[in-house]
Amino acid sequence: MESYSTCCGTEAGCHPIHAETTTPRRGTMPLSVSVAEISRYLRIGRRLPEQELLERVERLNKMASAVIRPSYTWRRFRISDNAITSGGIRLDICGTLTRHIAGCKDAYLVCGTIGTGFDALQRRVSTLSGADAFVMQAIGAAMIEHLMDATEELIRRELADGEDLVSRYSPGYGSFPLAAQRELLELLDAPRSVGVSLTDTLLMVPSKSVSAIIGITNGREST
Amino acid sequence: MNEHTLCFDKILFLDGGMGTQLQDKGLLPGEIPETWNITRPKDVRAIHEAYFAAGADVVYANTFGANRAKYHGDAPLEETIAAGISIAKEAAKNAGGHRSVALDVGPTGRLLKPAGDFEFDAAYDAFAEQIRLGAASGADLVVIETMGDTYELKAAVLAAKENSALPVFATVALGDDGKLLTGASVECVAAILEGLRVDAIGLNCGLGPDRMLPFVKRLAAATSLPIIVKPNAGMPKVIDGHTVFTVGPEEFARDVCALVESGASIVGGCCGTTPGHIAALKDALAGRDVQRRTTDATTTVVASGSRTVEIPLDDSIVIGERINPTGKKKLKAALTEGDVAYVLREAVSQSDAGAHVLDVNVGVPGLDEPAVLDATVQAVQSVTDLPLQIDTSDAKALERALRHYNGKALINSVNGKKESMDAVLPLVAKYGGVVVALTLDESGIPPTAEGRIAIARRILNRGAEYGLHPSDFIIDVLCLAISAEAESANTILKALRIVHDELGCRTCLGVSNISFGLPARPLLNASFYTMALANGLSAGIINPLSTDMMTAYRAFRALTGKDHSCEGWIEKYKDFTPASPTIRAVSGAASTTSPQQSGSILYEAIRHGLKSDAAAAASEAIRGGTNPLDVIGSGIVPALETVGKGFESGTVFLPQLLMAAEAAGAAFDVVRSAMPARGEGNVRGPIIVATVKGDIHDIGKNICRALLENYGFKVIDLGRDVPPEKVVSAARSEKARLVGLSALMTTTVGFMEQTVKMIHDELPGCEVTVGGAVLTAEYAKKIGADHYSKDAMELVRLAERLFPDTQGA
Repeated sequence: MESYSTCCGTEAGCHPIHAETTTPRRGTMPLSVSVAEISRYLRIGRRLPEQELLERVERLNKMASAVIRPSYTWRRFRISDNAITSGGIRLDICGTLTRHIAGCKDAYLVCGTIGTGFDALQRRVSTLSGADAFVMQAIGAAMIEHLMDATEELIRRELADGEDLVSRYSPGYGSFPLAAQRELLELLDAPRSVGVSLTDTLLMVPSKSVSAIIGITNGREST
Repeated sequence: MNEHTLCFDKILFLDGGMGTQLQDKGLLPGEIPETWNITRPKDVRAIHEAYFAAGADVVYANTFGANRAKYHGDAPLEETIAAGISIAKEAAKNAGGHRSVALDVGPTGRLLKPAGDFEFDAAYDAFAEQIRLGAASGADLVVIETMGDTYELKAAVLAAKENSALPVFATVALGDDGKLLTGASVECVAAILEGLRVDAIGLNCGLGPDRMLPFVKRLAAATSLPIIVKPNAGMPKVIDGHTVFTVGPEEFARDVCALVESGASIVGGCCGTTPGHIAALKDALAGRDVQRRTTDATTTVVASGSRTVEIPLDDSIVIGERINPTGKKKLKAALTEGDVAYVLREAVSQSDAGAHVLDVNVGVPGLDEPAVLDATVQAVQSVTDLPLQIDTSDAKALERALRHYNGKALINSVNGKKESMDAVLPLVAKYGGVVVALTLDESGIPPTAEGRIAIARRILNRGAEYGLHPSDFIIDVLCLAISAEAESANTILKALRIVHDELGCRTCLGVSNISFGLPARPLLNASFYTMALANGLSAGIINPLSTDMMTAYRAFRALTGKDHSCEGWIEKYKDFTPASPTIRAVSGAASTTSPQQSGSILYEAIRHGLKSDAAAAASEAIRGGTNPLDVIGSGIVPALETVGKGFESGTVFLPQLLMAAEAAGAAFDVVRSAMPARGEGNVRGPIIVATVKGDIHDIGKNICRALLENYGFKVIDLGRDVPPEKVVSAARSEKARLVGLSALMTTTVGFMEQTVKMIHDELPGCEVTVGGAVLTAEYAKKIGADHYSKDAMELVRLAERLFPDTQGA
């Protein structure tokens, strides 16, 4: 699936847990989302789209699948002094994030995107149809969510015995400031590794991108 | 510049990876590599020295990220670049012989508009500063590398050409799929870079040497320039927690040899390659000559930022003519009002209809043409990947639009007048492009084919003085109306034939001019189009939304064997059913459906979001004699009311609402065209909508626009990232009573507040409603907005209150 090999195949526990950071991983993966995944973002309640809407979802999903370039990167870092620090960059663990990853000694920084092609398609379909615009953004949301979940599964494969992940936490959630986006993406060299960068107003571009911090718990130490 | 080292007659050796070498020496994640020029110069110099010792002719100085947009180290940028160049020059001097030092220019790390928010000019400025500093410090050449976006690449190349006299190399990074981050193919990159006249082009990073092979072959077929390859040492793998590049020196050298056999002549390595790789490469290629390449320099190619279109000599393409205000009242109004959305719809519908290139002309008297053309070209490029034909007679407007165009444009036009050639040809030479040559000069349009050909030859000769090849031109033999000039069509067809047979040049023609002043123009146009195609027309400037024209085009290609196995024809017409042979009587007596029935069909079609059914039901009703106003009153409005209420009560969901509204909009369009006399007077509005400055998320705004329009309001959509002044000036000139602003992020609500304030200060009586993910009614109040619209439906309700329906529909 991924275009790199993880450490020693699938064997866990072979990366140097005591280092300040491990080597960055990056790759691409094929990605497709089902109508059921998309319908979660269509604001139609707990039902599935039918007839005309279903046809539209399927048509646009096919168009989107042809232009996306899903890619991801992650890297493991040591948390010390309530921050991740490397090469002169300091990402403060603060706000509601502090409690979310309390007790974690290490954390993954992760970033994924479905690429600029999707945004171009979104702009294009939006010029002629509001309904297409709406359905397309739902497809994009389902796709990036799917990519991030799949990426998290890849990350899990390299956890050591007894380690587990807490849920993804992104800048802008709770009181973890959106401005942390800068440091997070810099530590991942995101513009180069996955082509994700920030606007002056701290929006990620391409727009269907996610960056996050994922704390690592050790079952023996925390509950 | 040391001339020996950049002689392209023999293989030129570059260095290997710099970043990965620095990492081996302890560069940390997040650390700025260029700071080592100041803090650890010996380590940097040692890397250069090792590459020179391995046999590199050229090393890239440690300046990859030393541009204002990216670099934020402690030492000033000037010192960092100067130190980087001087370290490399010391190493070159110590190595002896003919060694060169390149200023390394990498991407800014920002995404340019429209994908991101970074302005082309800002990227240019960042590169220009870096290049001036590098040149002043003594760099021997400029290398632009690892580019993933053709637009940023163009900014960097222009900056290099305009701020130094140094040779320019440019290489891009391909992804696994062989495309740039923004989707461009190698052919697209070649078209753009050849047009900009760099000295060598190629590929670096991204792929290992084996996977580069097919793309080097394609590049060699697409360009006559020397080809650079700087592959990675294979794909990175993670072993024992460390990144390892698995391709060792020998394997690397062997694979790069294959690239040289395919046309590469400037070789080095990128990530993971070491002095050992370069030494192995040098050994493996010892005594090898540069592969002589013969490329087909006679193709004529234009490009957008992600796709190329060939203008063929023995086939034809379609240039969409609709973005040209001549004789188009609505487009003229949209351009004057700044209604971007209208223009974009024209772009996307022509593209959907099968156009290959879109003409963009904004010549409206009184308009600031350079500014409007520039903005329109950029806006159109944000919604279509078709190459554009930049159409203007204003040289200033042409240069500005060409500069900001992403790709290699078709330029319309130059003519045989000295003034025109002096103004336009240098721009074609500088920015690249294919230019339409109009066969007229100071004495007008020659009446004969031969006279027009003579002018074409003169233009081609002048072009040669600027280094332009006949394949950089398309000859327009000028389409004059047969109503004024009886022999016009014959002259044109003869001239087309001569240009094709004798000059070997492509041709284009504004086909529909032929029927000017006559009735039933579409019928004449389609016939003449077929005749022109049969006489070698390479590019018809036509209306792709005209079924007659596109049918003529497709039929011609199928009939002349250009549509392979008639695949295009079959795909298009496989579901074709001939039009009903009996034309329904106008009286309505022949109609089998009563007004009530057709009203309820329309009602159901709208409720179910069936766009074409709704349009068909509306025209059926009108053909059946129903008063257009009754169609609105008995079909469209009740259906919209039902879905609107359903949405508000939670039984109809947003996608259904939008689909229903779209179907209603299609029905409205049919009704409106049936009552042209009512004109624009009864349209409700206008309402100005915009996504505020700093914000490029405009889906919500687009949905609002669509819904308002489908409910029959006139909307002027200013687009996204719109500065407050622009909103105010549009609201003022349109005397708008309602402005809708959207913002998605907390970081952009500040601009929203500014915009609201400016509107209230300058335009008393103009109300503002705001919406967007982060907004609430309280927040809207806090920033001074008059209204808050939770969703698109609420906005419609607000508009209905502010603009009560006066036509009783």
